[in-house]
Amino acid sequence: MTNALAIDTTSEFLGLALMKAGRLAANHYEATGTEMNRSILTVLDDLLARAALKLEDLELIAVARGPGSFTGTRIGLAVAKSFALVQGLPLVGVDTLRLLAAQGEAAEGECFYAVLNCVRDEVYHAAFRWEGEGPQPLGEIGMSTLAALPELVEEAPVVLRRFPPEQPGHEESLAKLNRLPLRHPAPDCALLLSEALRMHRAHGGRPLPPAEPIYLKPEAFRKWKP
Amino acid sequence: METLGLAIDTTFDDTSVALLRGKQALLANVTLSQYADHAEFGGVVPERASRKHLEVIHPLIQRAMAEAEVEFRDLDWVAVSNLPGLMGAILVGVTVAKSLAYQLGLPLMGINHIEAHPYANFLVHGELEFPLLHLVAAGGHTLLIHQEDHFKWRVVGRSVDDAAGECVDKVAKMFGHPMPGGPVVDRLAMAHAPGPYDFPRPLLKDPGLDFSFSGLKTAMLYFLRDHGPRVDEGPVLAAFFASVAEVLTVKTVRAARQLGVSTVTVSGGLAASRRLRGAFEEACAEAGLTLYYPPPNLCTDNAAMVACLAAYRHEAGLHDDLTLDAHANLIA
Repeated sequence: MTNALAIDTTSEFLGLALMKAGRLAANHYEATGTEMNRSILTVLDDLLARAALKLEDLELIAVARGPGSFTGTRIGLAVAKSFALVQGLPLVGVDTLRLLAAQGEAAEGECFYAVLNCVRDEVYHAAFRWEGEGPQPLGEIGMSTLAALPELVEEAPVVLRRFPPEQPGHEESLAKLNRLPLRHPAPDCALLLSEALRMHRAHGGRPLPPAEPIYLKPEAFRKWKP
Repeated sequence: METLGLAIDTTFDDTSVALLRGKQALLANVTLSQYADHAEFGGVVPERASRKHLEVIHPLIQRAMAEAEVEFRDLDWVAVSNLPGLMGAILVGVTVAKSLAYQLGLPLMGINHIEAHPYANFLVHGELEFPLLHLVAAGGHTLLIHQEDHFKWRVVGRSVDDAAGECVDKVAKMFGHPMPGGPVVDRLAMAHAPGPYDFPRPLLKDPGLDFSFSGLKTAMLYFLRDHGPRVDEGPVLAAFFASVAEVLTVKTVRAARQLGVSTVTVSGGLAASRRLRGAFEEACAEAGLTLYYPPPNLCTDNAAMVACLAAYRHEAGLHDDLTLDAHANLIA
């Protein structure tokens, strides 16, 4: 697999990366907030032009499928699915905790947790083991409060990223965690490319599971009456 | 050579895709309604609507293309309703439309969903002579629109509280009927005479062109409270709908007279009602107005009307760029 596109719109960062002939040809991220819907295609067009790549040259599309911002996740998936449909390309969805886990500086065979800030004091978490080139998921993605996290992960190291603005009042919980350093300070779309390619290789030509969004949270919290 | 366009509408709770050749040859118009998905909440949950749109939009595009027997490379333009409606829901349609237009190198058009409703009439009846007065009775809006030419229109009357369709849905719900309430109320209004019942006709005597339906809704709530659940539902809802129909017809005819317009169109979900259509045929004949009415399947939300307006915009060269955004309100 040599030419590929990666799209990550699950946070307040617009992330796009291109691989050309097996080498990273673009790795773009910028804080766009809710503006990413306006800019995503013009930024992509610019990146493709600078890399001298066409959409028709692509062989795979990688997309971050959450958990994260609901609307943001849908924007990335809407673009990725539309490209995959018209170009007839394989689409590989990667969850955001795996992407964060890939950023951790874990030792070979080390088990650790990836933890991503959700809203307020809530976090998404998942366990991984570092195997060779990257993280292998050990279980499902869960949710908990930041305060409950130290007990949940016990002594295991944690790769953690919290979206700004930093939530006050949780320094105590954070101080109890054994935090692994991050290789990259921000969401890194190059890692989305490499994780997607790893997953694609691991499937050895068999069809990948459909790239659907991961929301984890329900769409409504109570029944209402007009 | 007539153009071939693809239009998408995801402004509220219906996902719709249409393929149109020229301005009238509808090759496909597929709509997936989400009513059942929202039933447990008794109303549309925006986040659920947005999730559902993303789930079904691509299979729906494929189905429409197969039905129309066309390929992506056959398309000349792509259009999408980008206002008004639920932001998260519209964003799905807008992002998909932009992605299609971008990779196919096609002109992109953002369409006003409300402006598009009357184009169900252009789609079916062909070019209508301007000026026109449109009554658009869609879910969240009841609007009187004065249109002097394509793309040249202004709102001359609007619902100041509940829209007519909203009022009908809510009253149907009070009587224990599931969403959407329109068809049930219409069926009862066709089958029964109002009998002795008479409900308010809000703002009917007011000389303005605005509508108000929340007072009528409250009157129905009090009626139910005072008469209990054993009311004679048929005549009661027939009388209720007679109030709705009278307000809509009287205000529409009044607007046409005030503006000196002799042709009226009715569109929007509530226009699918046979009882309302009958009332408009009668009122317009009496007032000497020409009336255009789309078939019921083009009254409710659909991408076909969006495609028809887009065909006119494409002809006029009114295109948008890839930064096209979604807007919740009627006027961006």
